[in-house]
Amino acid sequence: MRLDRVWIVAKKDMAEFRTNKYVMFSLVLMPLLLALVLPIIYLAPFTLLSEPTQLHELDLPDSEPVVGQSFSNTHVSNMVFEDCVFTNVTAEQCRFEKCDIGQSMVRSSFLGNSTFSHGALIQSNVLNITMNSTVASDIRSIGGESESVTFLRQFINFLMLFFILIPAIIPTVIASYSFVGEKLNRSLEPLLATPTTDAELLAGKSLSIFLPCILVTWLTFLPFVLLVNFLVAPVLGFAPLPDLSWLIGVFLLAPLFCVMSIALNVIVSSKVTDVRASQQLGSLVVLPVVMLFVVSLSGLFDLGPLVMLALTALVGLVDVGIAYLTVKTFRREEILVRWK
Amino acid sequence: MIETHGLTRTFGTTTAVDSLDLRIRDGEVFGFIGPNGAGKTTTVRMLCCLIAPTSGEAYVHGLDVRDPEQALLIRGKIGLLPEMPGLYDMLSAYRNLDFYAQLYDVPKHLRAERIESLLRTLELWDRRDDAVGKFSKGMRQKIAIARALVHEPDYLFLDEPTSGLDPEAALTVRNYLLDLKKEGRTIFINTHNLDDAERLCDKVGVMKTSLLAMGSPEELAGMFWGRTSVVRLRSVTPSMVSAVRALSGVTGVKADDSTLLVDVTDPDDVNPSILRALVAQGGEVLSLGELRRGLEDVYIRLMGGSR
Repeated sequence: MRLDRVWIVAKKDMAEFRTNKYVMFSLVLMPLLLALVLPIIYLAPFTLLSEPTQLHELDLPDSEPVVGQSFSNTHVSNMVFEDCVFTNVTAEQCRFEKCDIGQSMVRSSFLGNSTFSHGALIQSNVLNITMNSTVASDIRSIGGESESVTFLRQFINFLMLFFILIPAIIPTVIASYSFVGEKLNRSLEPLLATPTTDAELLAGKSLSIFLPCILVTWLTFLPFVLLVNFLVAPVLGFAPLPDLSWLIGVFLLAPLFCVMSIALNVIVSSKVTDVRASQQLGSLVVLPVVMLFVVSLSGLFDLGPLVMLALTALVGLVDVGIAYLTVKTFRREEILVRWK
Repeated sequence: MIETHGLTRTFGTTTAVDSLDLRIRDGEVFGFIGPNGAGKTTTVRMLCCLIAPTSGEAYVHGLDVRDPEQALLIRGKIGLLPEMPGLYDMLSAYRNLDFYAQLYDVPKHLRAERIESLLRTLELWDRRDDAVGKFSKGMRQKIAIARALVHEPDYLFLDEPTSGLDPEAALTVRNYLLDLKKEGRTIFINTHNLDDAERLCDKVGVMKTSLLAMGSPEELAGMFWGRTSVVRLRSVTPSMVSAVRALSGVTGVKADDSTLLVDVTDPDDVNPSILRALVAQGGEVLSLGELRRGLEDVYIRLMGGSR
């Protein structure tokens, strides 16, 4: 394969896209809408309406901690505990760090990095605690996973999925002006009569779709990160983006989904006999990404870095298969003779 | 040389081209005429390695169109003007040509020079930066012809080069093709325009799925009709008809009030005798020439029609 020919074809197509208002519209509008307008619409009111976390003003001791002891059937107050286990205890104005508290009632205290189960927790400040079968009343979270934090995290994950959806959707629009457009223009015949090989032609056309899609995705990612951080950092108390999962998602998984979308569109457009059918079938390639949305929202599994890497590897493998299939199934003769 | 042996292409149960045998020498201008659906475009597509033959052989410049490696070489040696110009409407005339020049590996230093020369010849240099989508049909056709020539191919395949053009644009294109003919390029023209074929082509093939006849326009006429001398007189008398009919080398005579149509074996031999015989019978000869049967007559005859 001659790379200079690939680049010649890609450059020509991109020059055409620049003058095509529909392509430019989809390249600019969709990322703008999904990555910038949507966060503003949904996150800004949330931020504006949420009051900053007001912690209880507790008068807690600052003494040396009691470390590694077990307490049961007793009452404690004005003490500091670390790595302790409590059963059936009442506590007031205490500081607990890394403790396991069960069947107890705790009031006006601070619990950090602890586990609280089968008891009552009242008028206290907490940080990173795990609660199980607990009556919790008037709890203020210093950080960690409060309900609002959980919601914001899920919503940011939801928005981030658009950065995988965008490079999968845009090719379905552009591809119709690339392969199918050539046929509509009747420009495919003279192009196929040049000494360009099928592989060079496919690679050039795919590159001309891939580059703008992925550039737009990445260029939108930066303002998105800044915008989301600006909007939610006051609520969360920290900037949630970029995190490792979504760096993998945007910079590895998204390009691979883009390649998958392009390759499938090429196969579809060379197999069907009608341009509209090609466009409609081509758009089905977003289904795997939509499935990712559903799985993510259902909470079946967390899209952590390992899951993202596994997905990246899976989509990469699928891409290799589809790319092979694309070259094998691309028949210039079929396109010339069968396309209407 | 372009050569085919038993070249056949079917689409399902339909045979588009049936057992085509062609031999077009280098430097020849070959006209392929026939009705719509006769298989002309399919033949050109096979010769340009765009579609594969179902059976038979085809060679361009000695290279086999069926071999993928050789097909690439063939595509580098040919220029194709398809039935529809197929230009990139959003791009300028110059950009359209430059794109193809790059694909055909025209060296960078030659590209600009060649494109300018082509656009000037076809009177489009002033419009080089305009998007071709704004061009008239004739201008688009000229750009498509320039595109087929930008790499100076040895073989040129032109599908209906003057179709749909106004008379002025058609004349420009026709004159340009005559210039190309003088340059010694091998040109294969598919056309419905019999006048174009007659003026431009050294050899003509009449196609209707299979090749019905092939030869120079004169040779084709000779297949159906002998040579006929036409004599215009002030008036024709029966004695004049008899005198001419009696001459050696005359095979038939038709007459009306002022014209004699004399079928002869060889006009150069017989015409002086005709002239003497008519004068001897008191005839006043106004002119003496040869009746020319056009390609149109041949075409109609081959297609089974009558005039």
